[in-house]
Amino acid sequence: MSGSANRLQLLSVMSFFINTLKNILHTMLQLLWFGKKTITNSLNIYIKTSGGNTLSVDLDPSWDIKNVKEIVAPKLGLEPEEVKIIFAGKELGDSITIAECDLGEQSILHAVKIKTKTKLPDISTDTIDEIEEQNTRPLCGTLNDAMFSSEDSTRNSSTTSGSDLDVSGNSNLRVHFFVFCPTCKTLKSGKIRVRCNFCNSGAFTVHSDPQNWHDVLEPKQITGLCENNPELCANILNNREPTFAEFYFKCSEHISLGEKDEAVPLYLIRPNLKDVPCLACADVSDPVFVFPCSEGHVTCLDCFRQYCVTKLTERQFWQHPEYGYTLACPAGCSDSFIKEIHHFRLLTEAQYGQYQRFGTEEFVLRSGGVLCPQPGCGMGILADPECTKITCINGCGYVFCRLCLQGYHIGECQTAEGDININNEGCLYNVDPTRAAEARWDEASKVTIKVLTKPCPKCRTPTERDGGCMHMVCTRAGCQFHWCWVCQTAWTRECMGSHWFG
Amino acid sequence: MQRQRLSRELAKMRNTPPQGICVFPKDDNLSSLEVKIVGPDDTPYKNGVFTLEVLVPERYPFVPPSIKFITKVYHPNIDDNGRICLDLIKMPPAGRWKPTIGVEGLLIAVRMLLETPNPEDPLMADIAEEFKNHKDDYVRKAKMYTEKYAC
Repeated sequence: MSGSANRLQLLSVMSFFINTLKNILHTMLQLLWFGKKTITNSLNIYIKTSGGNTLSVDLDPSWDIKNVKEIVAPKLGLEPEEVKIIFAGKELGDSITIAECDLGEQSILHAVKIKTKTKLPDISTDTIDEIEEQNTRPLCGTLNDAMFSSEDSTRNSSTTSGSDLDVSGNSNLRVHFFVFCPTCKTLKSGKIRVRCNFCNSGAFTVHSDPQNWHDVLEPKQITGLCENNPELCANILNNREPTFAEFYFKCSEHISLGEKDEAVPLYLIRPNLKDVPCLACADVSDPVFVFPCSEGHVTCLDCFRQYCVTKLTERQFWQHPEYGYTLACPAGCSDSFIKEIHHFRLLTEAQYGQYQRFGTEEFVLRSGGVLCPQPGCGMGILADPECTKITCINGCGYVFCRLCLQGYHIGECQTAEGDININNEGCLYNVDPTRAAEARWDEASKVTIKVLTKPCPKCRTPTERDGGCMHMVCTRAGCQFHWCWVCQTAWTRECMGSHWFG
Repeated sequence: MQRQRLSRELAKMRNTPPQGICVFPKDDNLSSLEVKIVGPDDTPYKNGVFTLEVLVPERYPFVPPSIKFITKVYHPNIDDNGRICLDLIKMPPAGRWKPTIGVEGLLIAVRMLLETPNPEDPLMADIAEEFKNHKDDYVRKAKMYTEKYAC
């Protein structure tokens, strides 16, 4: 009896202890959880001062710029009213909250001491006042509205303003700029930033918003004021020309690695605000690729990749004198070449590697060079046009004849049948077996190419005829020579009459 | 993905059929289609129903579909094996294919070719010769082929 009573007592004491422990743990957990919450909500931001110092501060996204000034001013030895905060080409107004500015972790704000306005060069004080009053919205917001027609701007502003611009990142947000990020090595959403085109300082305010991509991509379109050292930048330029804004882009999906961490704007990739269907698959997707033709033909990104791969395997990219190895609109519009070839970064690493290789080869051939014919080499060689003996100096070291692309020889080039069985005498002994195996493989592929192909009479690109008539058109984009498979010369009326179909 | 575009095109052709052209998918993944083209009036192909085979490649619409006549046709631009000489059905640089053309556009062009042969770019040199110089013979033979194979 007593034993069971004792046990009951013991149990009640134990449960009391367990309960208190539970409570303590619970409050501790709550405290911890609460502490954690405040940490995830804060944003670590760098503030660059006009003196060149960088401060690291933790900011709450719900704070406004006035709060920021109150934190920063004492560190500069100034009053909050004496400081202005500049970000992405705009002075930020006191009432704007951090969340509205589209700041990423470790973004850089610029704090500048307000100077007496009479000292500012050339620009009258009232214009400055006007600008300061108007341009208190961050640039990322104003550019969006300016870039699209009025019907779209309502959709834009609804996403850029308000609480859904949370730092934690809302995936439903419409992305406005797309970049190729060299760090992430892929297509990412980007953010626009501004600096002085002269001293590269980010403490720069623009006089007007860029209205379109032209204003952003072309240099010297938008004037502004370098707040870093206005006298210096203006004086060195001798007041001959105003200071211009230089726009650049950053990846918004990884923490900034400093000022040099830039990304290439892929400006032909745009949000599909108008729900335009893809010209190839007729699907409406977002974002889309808008070709730079007057019609602005649209494809989805998958079809763009497909288009590139098709053109690449057919070697139908075009060597543009200014832009490089590129493509035009698939609908065949004139004057529609893609200028920013980083758009081809949408391809996989392997495909992009092939793109680069083909591009280089095409460049060498266009420049009057030759490609080393040794299998697995293909080194581009730019040699004297009269020279027929070519040595692959930086590549495999093969010495070959420029005209027939066979091993170098004296006298006339041998005909197709004669020269396959050379080099098989006199060295039956003393041969390294592995080297012999390699050589046979090379010979075998040479034989295959010889049997199945004929060289284009103009550029000597080996060409396979897999059916159809004898009228050949060289598949190399830069050549496109019309030739006859039978005669191996230019295609003529006579070829058409006598042996068009064999 | 590419099949999506094709199924849209086929749906459109079902709802608003182009004149004298019928398309039937031959398999579920739409890689091959059977086409019936009615010979246009005022041509020797009148009253004939011609069967064509359309093979749609994986990379359609960046690569054109291949089209050939299954029914024998007496025509300067169509050979004995049903191959058609038309720049629209070939990839650039040799041809003028564009992803915006589509199967319907191509079939309309083929039917147009029945109406207006192009003897300047012939596939059958002797028929082209006949078309230019002995039109009556050409019309008679083409009619005979149509009656024999396409009716």
